[in-house]
Amino acid sequence: MLARLRWIMNRIEDTVLVLVLGGMILFAVLQIGLRNFFDTGILWSDPLVRVLVLWAGLIGAMVAARLDRHIVISALAHFMNPHWKLGARVVTDLAAAVVCLVVTWVSLRFVFADYVARTMAFAAVPAWVCEIIIPIAFLVMGVRYALHSLDRARELLGRAA
Amino acid sequence: MILATLGLLALAVLGMPLFAVIAALALLGFYSSDIDLSVVAIELYRMVDNPVLVAIPLFTFTGFLLSESRASHRLVRLTEAFLGWLPGGLAIVALFACAIFTALTGASGVTIIAIGALLYPALKEGGYQERFSLGLLTSSGSLGLLFPPSIVLIIYGVIAQQLNLGQPISIDDMFLAGLLPGLLMLAMLSLYGIWAGWHVPRRRMAFSWGEALGALREAIWELPLPVIVLGGIYSGLFAASEAAAVSVLYVLIIEVLVYREIPLRDLPRIMRESMVVVGGVLIILGVALASTNWLIDAEVPMHLFEWVRAHVDDRLTFLLLLNIFLIVLGMVLDIFSALVLIVPLILPIAVAFGIHPVHLGIVFLANMQIGYFTPPVGMNLFIASYRFQRSLAELVAASLPYFFILLGSVLIITYWPALSLFLIKGP
Repeated sequence: MLARLRWIMNRIEDTVLVLVLGGMILFAVLQIGLRNFFDTGILWSDPLVRVLVLWAGLIGAMVAARLDRHIVISALAHFMNPHWKLGARVVTDLAAAVVCLVVTWVSLRFVFADYVARTMAFAAVPAWVCEIIIPIAFLVMGVRYALHSLDRARELLGRAA
Repeated sequence: MILATLGLLALAVLGMPLFAVIAALALLGFYSSDIDLSVVAIELYRMVDNPVLVAIPLFTFTGFLLSESRASHRLVRLTEAFLGWLPGGLAIVALFACAIFTALTGASGVTIIAIGALLYPALKEGGYQERFSLGLLTSSGSLGLLFPPSIVLIIYGVIAQQLNLGQPISIDDMFLAGLLPGLLMLAMLSLYGIWAGWHVPRRRMAFSWGEALGALREAIWELPLPVIVLGGIYSGLFAASEAAAVSVLYVLIIEVLVYREIPLRDLPRIMRESMVVVGGVLIILGVALASTNWLIDAEVPMHLFEWVRAHVDDRLTFLLLLNIFLIVLGMVLDIFSALVLIVPLILPIAVAFGIHPVHLGIVFLANMQIGYFTPPVGMNLFIASYRFQRSLAELVAASLPYFFILLGSVLIITYWPALSLFLIKGP
């Protein structure tokens, strides 16, 4: 069940990521073409592309959390023995999960404030729709790191036994 | 507060993802200043106000496409055809090919895999000492970092803009400023290559028009790419983000439809791989914009400056200390972490000492470029060790002459600001 949920989650992340990058390329190129060859442009294209950059970055970060490929300071890790390294990762992944969940909470409040105020981002798109990716991304990353921490704790216990 | 900060730094050193460390620092900082924590999300969302950031995913994806295709083969053949006849020809070929490839793909270590793997056997066959070749390829994996459209130039510009220094810093300026210092590094390393090539017993290759034309014809579709990127930006025809959009479209067309080296079904995978890198960088940048904002609110750079000024009173001493600090920093931090964590602290101080922010950026990145192959964290050491199946110690020893040459160039770049600023301001 959990494995199936993870599989679905991974596919959603990958698909949306490809669509977002594809859309970003499409609109960025279209805008340049329209401006240079037809002396016109789509008014909401530039803000849309900039929002897509945020989405691509955050969904990319979600996938990076899943694949454990976020940038870390690795100076010490090279000199730790595997056992200690695993133990350290149980703690650091848990800490990362907690931080992600706190950011989820504070960004939800930010999104909700814009929802209530009916702030508009561009054209007829409300701001909260563009912003919603922030709490989503941090929630998913929080869950991923909690799972990483759990997996590593299990591995550590398995070794000790 | 101090205790929590120290705890976080300990976690960071133990391997906590850096974006989470910075986010936590920002949260702690705003909490202690009684500011609503939603400000972290607001700052993160402010990334959508910056049109320059569009260039980061687009150029990164372009670089991934290029490294998946056989562009590296064509680039090596082309440089070999035109530079191979020089004394130390192959070494110079390696330097130029590495620099061009790194500039176009970003310094992600892919240069060593793509170009190094091609040139290592060639250098060996060409009679160069093994130690010389290993050092050359390991240290050149980050050469080209100062050439546009390198991502780190863009990121430095974005961070510097955030600091409100009273002096405008445009990404185009950064792209111009890196050019001559990058060429200086290339020239100094080439001289070393020529000197080393003099002692290579094997005869040099002769220049052949046939091979030159053949190499040109093979790479004909990729040749306009530097023109699009550099020409577009330098002529003012495109902004950086527009040059990125045009490059991505152009590279997609030539690699998928003309050379047919990337099947359509591979595109989603390449897109995902490139966005994982972009995500890792952008999320750090996003949370760092929040933490930087807190630093400025809390006047941390100002206090730091007062402390520094109490101990250092002239610009030259400051620059000297800065160089030592940055070399050590490059040894323990990767370039992205160093950029977002350290630039907000030292740039205001440097500006107060009368250093131009664009010049500081070039000095900073030139130092960090060396950090790519210094122990213990130099990423290119690990990639080269994996790729060439050599021990880290061996690669560190082999890179030593290059370390000193690049250190020399960094000192020139540091104490000769005009080299970086000439193209923006004129003599």
